[in-house]
Amino acid sequence: MIGTQIALLKREIWEYRSIYVTPIAVAIAVSLISLAAIVTVSAFDTEVHLAILSAANIAGDAERQAALTIYFVGTSWIFLVALGILTIFYSLDSLYSERKDKSILFWRSLPVTDSETVISKLVMAIFVIPLVTVGVIILTNIVNLVITSIWIAIQGGDAGHMVWGSVALLDNWIAALVFTIASALWMSPFIGWFLFVSTVTKRAPLLMAFMPLILIPIIEWIFFRSKVFVDAVVDRGDLNPLLRGMDIEELFDEDRMQVNEELISLLGRLDIVQFLGSPSLWTGVVVCGLFTTAAIYVRRYRDES
Amino acid sequence: MTSLVSARGVSKHYGRVRAVDDISFEIEKGRIMGLIGPNGAGKTTLLKALLGLTDCEGELSVLGLDPFKQRKELMRNICFIADVAVLPRWIRVSQLLDFVESVHPNFSRDKAEALLKKTKVDKRRDSRVRELSKGMVTQLHLSIIAAIDAKFLVLDEPTLGLDIIFRKEFYANLLSDYFDEERTILVTTHQVEEIENILTDIMFINEGRIILDRTMDSLAESYVELMTSGELADEARNMGPIAERDIFGKKIMLFEKPDRERLADFGELHTPSVADLFVAKIKGATA
Repeated sequence: MIGTQIALLKREIWEYRSIYVTPIAVAIAVSLISLAAIVTVSAFDTEVHLAILSAANIAGDAERQAALTIYFVGTSWIFLVALGILTIFYSLDSLYSERKDKSILFWRSLPVTDSETVISKLVMAIFVIPLVTVGVIILTNIVNLVITSIWIAIQGGDAGHMVWGSVALLDNWIAALVFTIASALWMSPFIGWFLFVSTVTKRAPLLMAFMPLILIPIIEWIFFRSKVFVDAVVDRGDLNPLLRGMDIEELFDEDRMQVNEELISLLGRLDIVQFLGSPSLWTGVVVCGLFTTAAIYVRRYRDES
Repeated sequence: MTSLVSARGVSKHYGRVRAVDDISFEIEKGRIMGLIGPNGAGKTTLLKALLGLTDCEGELSVLGLDPFKQRKELMRNICFIADVAVLPRWIRVSQLLDFVESVHPNFSRDKAEALLKKTKVDKRRDSRVRELSKGMVTQLHLSIIAAIDAKFLVLDEPTLGLDIIFRKEFYANLLSDYFDEERTILVTTHQVEEIENILTDIMFINEGRIILDRTMDSLAESYVELMTSGELADEARNMGPIAERDIFGKKIMLFEKPDRERLADFGELHTPSVADLFVAKIKGATA
């Protein structure tokens, strides 16, 4: 059972190389941009470029900590946007391509149930693909901090203090992990819907998946003059309860600096309790479960002819 | 119970079309059954029902299991090649072997490796399926299937689109690497003449119904072909042949349950080929 599931997950990674190619491409882009920024700054006087990171200059410890943390949040955000797009395309294709190339008959000739197969695709979309991205985020962070350290060392600064001592690395990384998996769970009703469309549609899964998201609100408005559907969908994109404790501007706030927090904790700013207690989260998970069950049912009972 | 497959009153319709219409038959262990029928006769639908890919009315049991309800158990002991194109095109040969090994309890990696060594695929372990020729894909598929210790093998047009050398090789390998008295094969094809000498049983299907179901041995007893000409032909015609055709000015007549002694007076007697018998039966059924 577990062995079969692991084999199925491996198969997905073989088939969809974009699962790791996409974050690696983003990582290369992010690193090149960071490097370009350093080179650009280096073109100015030593006074200016050290000012950004050096405690000896106008910027204090607090500002530098905020800058490093925001650098991490900002670059991670690029990865998360890519992850979102990747997940949409993956879940829409995962049960569609096997029908398009007719390999479904081969897969179904093996002693693997339809539930096992569909669940492996769901596990990929909600856990494995986000985990791969988080892994690459962490690696990129390390690489970029090393590059920055080398640059500071060349300028005669103390990288150990200015970089490695100024940011709570493990805290930030765990926060990235928690935030990414939580976002996937939060968005799970969409993932379930995409898997369902992927197993049902005869053509153009992308179009078939998004058309109802546009048509249902219009129909709802015409007949009921209400916006229940739109509110539910928009709210989900907007109101992740995990982030209610997070305010980027606050990191630069005078008050925070006076409290003199040792290092900025991103993890501490994620409201995990509120997130797990949110009825919206669990409603979404149930909706995801319903769509997934429907996908299993269709794959199992549809006559492939 | 010696029947591996048992069907009683099996039907399947799509809307008003009766793809399979009240079919009953048995397949016993250790047999090679050929299922022959024209396009749209219901072959594929019947195979799908046997493989649990579609539900059906009536009683159907394969290896003592209900194929539709007990698919996973069934798939441990049954293999099928539905068409040469079904192997996923993106997968590498080595990945495919890894995958089947990890999900199939009855798959022997050693046996698959040994079988592949004899083929051209051997040196292409890192190639993707899409990079292999059609013949190589079939060799790969058959090597995997033959390495699975399954009781029942279903082949639906397994050699479609292959050249004659690959086709001959395919059936030769099937007999040498796969078949033994513990195993049973059901095969459908349009190229009847290529498989008729490996079959032990034969079944004709037309318009969803079985019009012939016999062992190959009994076929020779039940049918005879008479080659004759001229006035003898007219007399022979009175004996009620089920089919008649002309070759080089001679008449070839096919008789069912023949009176051999009398027929021998009219000309030469032969055992008909399956293809000729098939054509005669189908024409007879639709006439």
